[in-house]
Amino acid sequence: MKPLILYFTADFPSYEILKRFLEEVDPEIVKYVEIGIPEINPLYDGPTIKATHSMALKNFQREHLRQFAEILIKKGIRVFALSYYDRINKEGTNFIHYLKDSKFSGIIIPDLLTDYSEESERIIPEIEENFSFIPFFNPATPDTVIQEVSSKTSSWIYYGLQPSTGIDIPFDLNEVSRRILDLVANREINFGFGIRTIEQIKEILGLGSSGVAIGSLMVQYLKDNDMEGFRNFQNSVRGVYLNAE
Amino acid sequence: MLSTQDSSIIPNEWYNIVPDLPKQLPPPVDRDEKKSSIQLLNQILPKAILKQEFTFQKYTKIPEEVQEIYAQIGRPTPLFRAKGLEKALDYNGKILLKYEGATITGSHKINTAIPQAFYTREEGSTGVVTETGAGQWGTATTVAASLAGITSKIFMVKISFNQKPLRKQIIELYGGEIVPSPSRETKFGTEILSRNPDHPGTLGIAISEAVEYALEHDLKYMLGSVFNSVLTHQSVIGLETEKQLEILGEEPDVLIGCVGGGSNFGGFVFPLMRKFKETKIYASTASEVPKFSKGEYKYDFVDTAKILPSIKMYSLGSDYVPEKIYAGGLRYHGAAPSLSMLVNSGRINSSDMPEDKVIDALKLFARTQGIVAAPESGHAIATAIDYVKNNTDQKETILVNVSGHGLMDMSIFQR
Repeated sequence: MKPLILYFTADFPSYEILKRFLEEVDPEIVKYVEIGIPEINPLYDGPTIKATHSMALKNFQREHLRQFAEILIKKGIRVFALSYYDRINKEGTNFIHYLKDSKFSGIIIPDLLTDYSEESERIIPEIEENFSFIPFFNPATPDTVIQEVSSKTSSWIYYGLQPSTGIDIPFDLNEVSRRILDLVANREINFGFGIRTIEQIKEILGLGSSGVAIGSLMVQYLKDNDMEGFRNFQNSVRGVYLNAE
Repeated sequence: MLSTQDSSIIPNEWYNIVPDLPKQLPPPVDRDEKKSSIQLLNQILPKAILKQEFTFQKYTKIPEEVQEIYAQIGRPTPLFRAKGLEKALDYNGKILLKYEGATITGSHKINTAIPQAFYTREEGSTGVVTETGAGQWGTATTVAASLAGITSKIFMVKISFNQKPLRKQIIELYGGEIVPSPSRETKFGTEILSRNPDHPGTLGIAISEAVEYALEHDLKYMLGSVFNSVLTHQSVIGLETEKQLEILGEEPDVLIGCVGGGSNFGGFVFPLMRKFKETKIYASTASEVPKFSKGEYKYDFVDTAKILPSIKMYSLGSDYVPEKIYAGGLRYHGAAPSLSMLVNSGRINSSDMPEDKVIDALKLFARTQGIVAAPESGHAIATAIDYVKNNTDQKETILVNVSGHGLMDMSIFQR
């Protein structure tokens, strides 16, 4: 089955609630989970995810990351961290080692290629020595950057369909998809950012994307502690995925 | 000595530099987690413009109607050799001029006003609102709106409004409505005036008023510069120049243009950078608004009221109030993100020019070439003259974009 990736901000809305949601993640359909590390200024996230960061900040404890990973790994789900560069810069390789020891499979750094491209030349090989660096590209990433960074990594690629999450910018899904698939052939490319309906998931899977990453769409279930809604949501996505097979 | 007026020189596609940049362009961001200023763009811009703003496509087809209007308004604009200036400077190399002052509104601004008005009408809106500094953008907007059969309302920076009364007359002649900014027609303008009734206005304040007015009256907002879609439309300048150079059999060693928000500069330089990879490039700014030499490369607001998104650019701060220099078009606090990135990487050099030196350059240019250039363009000409004086032994080909004429800015010479 094609991969479904779910995104959760660590400790949003609280440690306990998120833990219960992670226990409910269905391994038959969810292949990876991204855990976002809360930041004061998650610059490239849209308003919905940004709000989760500011709420999660007061609850966040680094040790929780290991516990979240444990829950998911037991189910056979791979876990990836999503962190802005500032934290990696401040905490250095210790943070990468901590994530690796906690059984994270890799890391996504949304602002690295945009704001720290010089540092990226040094840090990508450093990360790759420990675990996977997941390239994050979007429609504004130049062709040469996509090709160069792809060639330095071997994991899956995260392709954001929008410049930021949760924002409705008109774009031609066909054009946007075809571009990345043409630029990087024979690689697992998962699409995300701005996926707001189950219908869109169906459409994206039909365009040749390996899988789909979902974040903003689940925030309300977490906020309302609506476990039933989350289960139904997973079941709806399962239906779409089965039909796409 | 026009190279050609052949309409086949007008391109049928615009060029967007973003996919060709050496690094990823930092996207516009929201600074307020409660409301999205990027989402706001959905309300105030035509969808086609928004799509062009964020597209990864290098080329976008120019609608046929826009191509036809480009021909009507004087495109292709001429490219010619400035022999008079060369002689006055005793220069052994060549100085070539791309002259955007030859359009019907006398500046490059019409190049983006036409497509923006076209898309506004196509999407069913009845009118457009915008700001203007020196008045060139306001004039271009009004002409484009009238040609498209929609209304236009212009907030003009007060100091320029007072200095250039002819702008008011011409904008009204073309069918537009014009008010000095800060004004009492918006909450933001009223607030500024209550603090300082004699506020001279800035482009940042005028942008804020125009956006607020568009939102309140369900109209579309026209982007004058800075935004990527505008630089894309302005690429007609560089694309035409590329073909004209081919006809003339010339290759430039140096490219020079002036920078307000960066649209005439980007539109001129970016298409040429594809072919002439080693060319030296100079962005000429006003010493009084030294955004590249004294500004910081950071995320900052496009407008003073902080309604529009933050973009990563060289900026003197969105609340910066520049000196009352005559070149109103260069008084903007920031510069387009793509241009800022290329200045930051060292690919594009910057050159600050003080107003007195610009006035001397304009006089020399008028007496040797017969062209009264716009004060903004005078900065590019002054930079070119400086370059020649510092490189007298070189035999280089210097290509300057003269972004507009200055026939409505004559009072600059009365100082």
